[in-house]
Amino acid sequence: MIRFEKVTKAYPGQARSALEQVSVDVEKGEFVFLVGASGSGKSTFLRLILREYRPSSGRVYVAGKEINRLAGWKVPRLRRQIGTVFQDFRLLQNKTVTENVAFALQVIGKPKAQVESLVPETLEMVGLEGKGDRLPDELSGGEQQRVAIARAFVNRPMILIADEPTGNLDPNTSVGIMKLLDRINRTGTTVLMATHDAGIVDQMRKRVIELEDGHVVRDQARGIYGYQN
Amino acid sequence: MQLRYVLSELRQGLRRNLSMHLAVILTLFVSLTLVGLGLLLNSQAQRAEEHWGSQLQITVFLCNETATSPNCTGEVTPAQKDAIINVVQENPEVADFHTESKKEAFEKTKELFSEEYFARLPTSPSSMKESVWIELENAERYQGIRSAVEGLDGVSNVRDQRAVLKPIYAAIDALKFGAIGIAAFLIFAALLLVANTIRLAAFARRREIGIMRLVGASSLYISLPFLLEALVTALVGVVLAGGALAAFMYFGVAEGMQGQINFMPWIGLPEYLAALGAVALLGPLLTIFPTLVLTRKYLKV
Ligand SMILES: Nc1ncnc2c1ncn2[C@@H]1O[C@H](COP(=O)(O)OP(=O)(O)OP(=O)(O)O)[C@@H](O)[C@H]1O
Ligand SMILES: [Mg+2]
Repeated sequence: MIRFEKVTKAYPGQARSALEQVSVDVEKGEFVFLVGASGSGKSTFLRLILREYRPSSGRVYVAGKEINRLAGWKVPRLRRQIGTVFQDFRLLQNKTVTENVAFALQVIGKPKAQVESLVPETLEMVGLEGKGDRLPDELSGGEQQRVAIARAFVNRPMILIADEPTGNLDPNTSVGIMKLLDRINRTGTTVLMATHDAGIVDQMRKRVIELEDGHVVRDQARGIYGYQN
Repeated sequence: MQLRYVLSELRQGLRRNLSMHLAVILTLFVSLTLVGLGLLLNSQAQRAEEHWGSQLQITVFLCNETATSPNCTGEVTPAQKDAIINVVQENPEVADFHTESKKEAFEKTKELFSEEYFARLPTSPSSMKESVWIELENAERYQGIRSAVEGLDGVSNVRDQRAVLKPIYAAIDALKFGAIGIAAFLIFAALLLVANTIRLAAFARRREIGIMRLVGASSLYISLPFLLEALVTALVGVVLAGGALAAFMYFGVAEGMQGQINFMPWIGLPEYLAALGAVALLGPLLTIFPTLVLTRKYLKV
């Protein structure tokens, strides 16, 4: 589903590469944690999948397509197959929960009937039934992140990317969010999640890829956050 | 759904940045009006030239029945005419010449003036004068030919275009270049205002645009509200300029100058429509072109 072949990414004006000769293969339906110290290149890894940047060298494949060769006008089509969630939720403050989720479908031209059935269904799935008319600042952090996940998942993407989704949440709330991501993973969606949260990684026992200064230093099935002998 | 989104975005965008949009509209309005005026003045100069010929011309009018010049003893005779043409032909200051019959003069007058004005003129082909139109080799050297024909029998009068036309053409030219020069500065200001408007709008909508890009909205979809805003402001500017130009045509030309200066044919509806067409093309171009360039830059779409 996602394949990195000797990918190097150097930001302009930066002496050190953010990623260096990274080769990774993620199968369809996998759940992968990306761990590593701050600045180790986790966000860069995720952004390459979205084609927010092109790699400096090497190749990135998503769903069998080499996306660094993708024409600019085809990038939106790629992104429609990938849901994305961030630490800071990125909700539109002047839109209600329902409107925020519907927005993701409207702007890609989904017919009204489909929006009207998919949005409530997804809100129910993330546990926000009855809160559709609230504004983001009338919700707790955990609930806001559920809205963001609903928005990312409402189009039923093949891949869900989460960059420190629990970074702003307390441990209890984080567990709820992880249960939700696990449920989404069980629908067959490939999930990639960058995190600093050792407790969560240790609890879930999923595949762990560890980055250090842009290199993959560990790739372990059913891994934990820290090193393991 | 698509259309509704686009229209509501458009309405919001216009309202959010109302003062900037008004600034763009007003600058466009004034600059387009000036461009239109420049075009109208240009047409006016052309009309005048069609009627009078260029500054390089002098016109020798031959006697008719009613001519009062001392050289005239009634209608010019064929012999007198031959003699006059001979003098013209031989003169080194003459580059070219042609003759105009009474009938041609009549048709030309009829064509150049508006029908209602023409109806008031006491003209018929017989009341016109035959004439010889002389194209000079050099606008500064005209005295020789002038004095050569002036005294000839059968010559009613010699019209020196330079004396009559120079101040009129100079005035029209000055107004024309003045209008277009000021318009050029204002167009530059309009472009800067359009650029600023887009930058502010892109900044105000940066979160929304970020999410649209993230969820895979197409570039066209993202930039459409900006393009429509540009189009709407341009259209309002064009309509205002069209109104101002129409007012100029009505109060300035039809009701004003035409009544007072009736020895010159004036521009009318066809010239107005041509100027309006040019302004209607230029207006949208001035807003849409920078919008296309800047949406690419600011929205990274
Ligand atoms: N847009 C950018 N321009 C220049 N350098 C960047 C940019 N984004 C990231 N970097 C650099 O690339 C390196 C990797 O950054 P990245 O954001 O991928 O790390 P990260 O693992 O996500 O860190 P964190 O855990 O703090 O989010 C860092 O050295 C960072 O300074
Ligand atoms: Mg990061």
